[in-house]
Amino acid sequence: MNSRIIGALMAKDLVLFFRNRFFAVVTVLGLVAYVVIYLVLPDSVDEELTLAIYAPALPPVFEMIQEEGLVFDAFDSEESLKEVVADGDYLAGIALGDGALARLAVGEKAPIQIYLNATAPPEIQDAVPLVVEELFLMQSGQPLPLEVETEILGQDRVGFQIPPRDRMLPLFAVFLMITEMLGLSSLIAEEIVGRTLQALLITPLTVGGIFAAKGIIGVGLAAGQAVIFLLLTAGLSQQPFLVLIALLLGAVMVTGIGFLLASLGRDLLSIMSWGIPLLIVLMVPAFAVIFPGGVSDWVRFIPSYYLVDTVHQAINLDVGWSELWSNLVVLLVFDVAVVWLGMTALRRRVL
Amino acid sequence: MSLRRVGVLLRNETASGASNILFVFAIVAPVLISLVLTLVFGSLFNDKPRLGLVGPANSEFGQRAAQLEAIDFAAYENVDELREAVADGREDLGLVLPDGFEQAVAEGEPVAVQAYIWGESLAQNRTILGTTIARITREMAGQEAPVEISVVSVGDGQSLAIGDRLLPLVILIAVFFGGTMVPASSLVQDRERGTLQAVTVTPATLTDLVFAKGALGVIVSVIMATVTLLLNGVAIAEPLALYLFLIVGAIMAASFGLFLGMMAKDITGLMAIIKALGLLLYAPAIVYLFPTLPQWIARVFPTYYIIGPVIEISQNGATLADVAIDLMILSILTAIMMGGLVVLTRRRQLQPAGV
Repeated sequence: MNSRIIGALMAKDLVLFFRNRFFAVVTVLGLVAYVVIYLVLPDSVDEELTLAIYAPALPPVFEMIQEEGLVFDAFDSEESLKEVVADGDYLAGIALGDGALARLAVGEKAPIQIYLNATAPPEIQDAVPLVVEELFLMQSGQPLPLEVETEILGQDRVGFQIPPRDRMLPLFAVFLMITEMLGLSSLIAEEIVGRTLQALLITPLTVGGIFAAKGIIGVGLAAGQAVIFLLLTAGLSQQPFLVLIALLLGAVMVTGIGFLLASLGRDLLSIMSWGIPLLIVLMVPAFAVIFPGGVSDWVRFIPSYYLVDTVHQAINLDVGWSELWSNLVVLLVFDVAVVWLGMTALRRRVL
Repeated sequence: MSLRRVGVLLRNETASGASNILFVFAIVAPVLISLVLTLVFGSLFNDKPRLGLVGPANSEFGQRAAQLEAIDFAAYENVDELREAVADGREDLGLVLPDGFEQAVAEGEPVAVQAYIWGESLAQNRTILGTTIARITREMAGQEAPVEISVVSVGDGQSLAIGDRLLPLVILIAVFFGGTMVPASSLVQDRERGTLQAVTVTPATLTDLVFAKGALGVIVSVIMATVTLLLNGVAIAEPLALYLFLIVGAIMAASFGLFLGMMAKDITGLMAIIKALGLLLYAPAIVYLFPTLPQWIARVFPTYYIIGPVIEISQNGATLADVAIDLMILSILTAIMMGGLVVLTRRRQLQPAGV
């Protein structure tokens, strides 16, 4: 293989890729758009239910119960409480009337006014009265006939939850890479139909050289975009080397699939006909990361699952090599298979 | 322009649509995006606490929990399934009730239960679920809360679930995928294949052809917008007002698509332009997605006058009289777009070849 010729071919391919206006726009716009979306999404998770409260005398249970998840902010009057709830500063407020505690003490029911903001979600509208009732039951001293033994499954993340935008990092990174797959496939398919690739074989360039050049361009564009995106969003702050290796293996995967697609299509539209359903399938594992438990176990049969899972666990959970090496092995095995398949299919089409 | 020729061309366009990936995409994409966006973002921002339960069959506890709006409830067959569901994050908390739970509670005897908590569950959800479990148990034990609660709703606005906030986006996608992409791609492909020149040597004029393609775009757009509304459970309460906006909006989208189709050199150029303009087209829907943004920003964009009134009519019960001004603005914008298209079509008609 002549490295000088391969270098020249790579330079030509880069120029051709960005000359395709659709993919040039998608490449640049996509990167910018995902970074903007990432920055706009919330960067923290508000775990606490904060309620406003007015009480001439605050029942002791309300002070004892302020634990993770439930916070009471006291106000001087019912009017000021109602105002802050109406303004949307609080989703709900609780007002104890004068003498509420006295009535409780003599076994009568205490009148409680709950103010709910009109935009409060339905579950909050239902939950707040339940919480108030339970707190007063505790205050009244009625024993709860339950002894609960708890077990936390997985890493306990109360206090340091993963923000929505960080959950979506693997989705964006993988989507950027898979889009490049369509661009590479379209480029190769058009060269086959235009017989440019076949013409290149008349030169000292070999078939192996063509695959090397296309492969390096494909992997470089796919991995490069994902790396740039993660750099701009500080996604490489944890386990960077592991993430980079995963992205590299992912880029090889999409390049191999790109070769396969190119052997099937003739132009942009035919590539999209095959590519878009494939894109959707490859994206499904990323959704499994965004809403855990929302997708069934069969998602593990999709090879991109091992890429997304590795990137998510490394970036968001700081999981290391010892737990994720098996994902990389599966990715590597799939890469070898899909690249071999892609090259074989493409070689048959070209020669 | 001949209506008969337009009809024939429209029939041909419809018949050849199935072989055009973008036509198929215009049908499938709004449905798919509607489902995916609601699923992804609905789940991402849906913090409703989830409770799983293993217990005696037809347990009273399960029946009471299922009736609560404050939580999502699911029953499981056995502890292993429940543990897996909690570990996977499908449930925030899993509760295992022993046999004889209900009787013991009714007699006031403390009962030992096992609870599994998902590590990534929010603190707020754990508190709500804990409170809910306690409350249900106390009700079963006959304990009555020593309070009389009255609830008052205050403030402006209304509670909008994330799925409802996504509705404008999915409707706009339905309108513009069908209305813009179908006629635009059809026009560009006909030009690339030489079909455009071939048709214009027949009695059919370029105007007939453009009109036929636009009509197909309008039909697809209105149908897919209707499908999207129905998929999202929106009742079509004021059909006249709603469809006035959808039809005029579809005409605007189709005119825009035909304009792009005339201007784009090839299909890749067309796709690039559509991609680049995507943010401008969907901006009003994106503003609506974030209530904290000043909503007047949406009115700057022409597509607001399609989606804003549709939402007002379908979600807020507005009548035609309430949105008459928006209809007027939309009609003017559509007329401007159509005017530009007519001028461009006439110019291209006068060109000798290679439209």
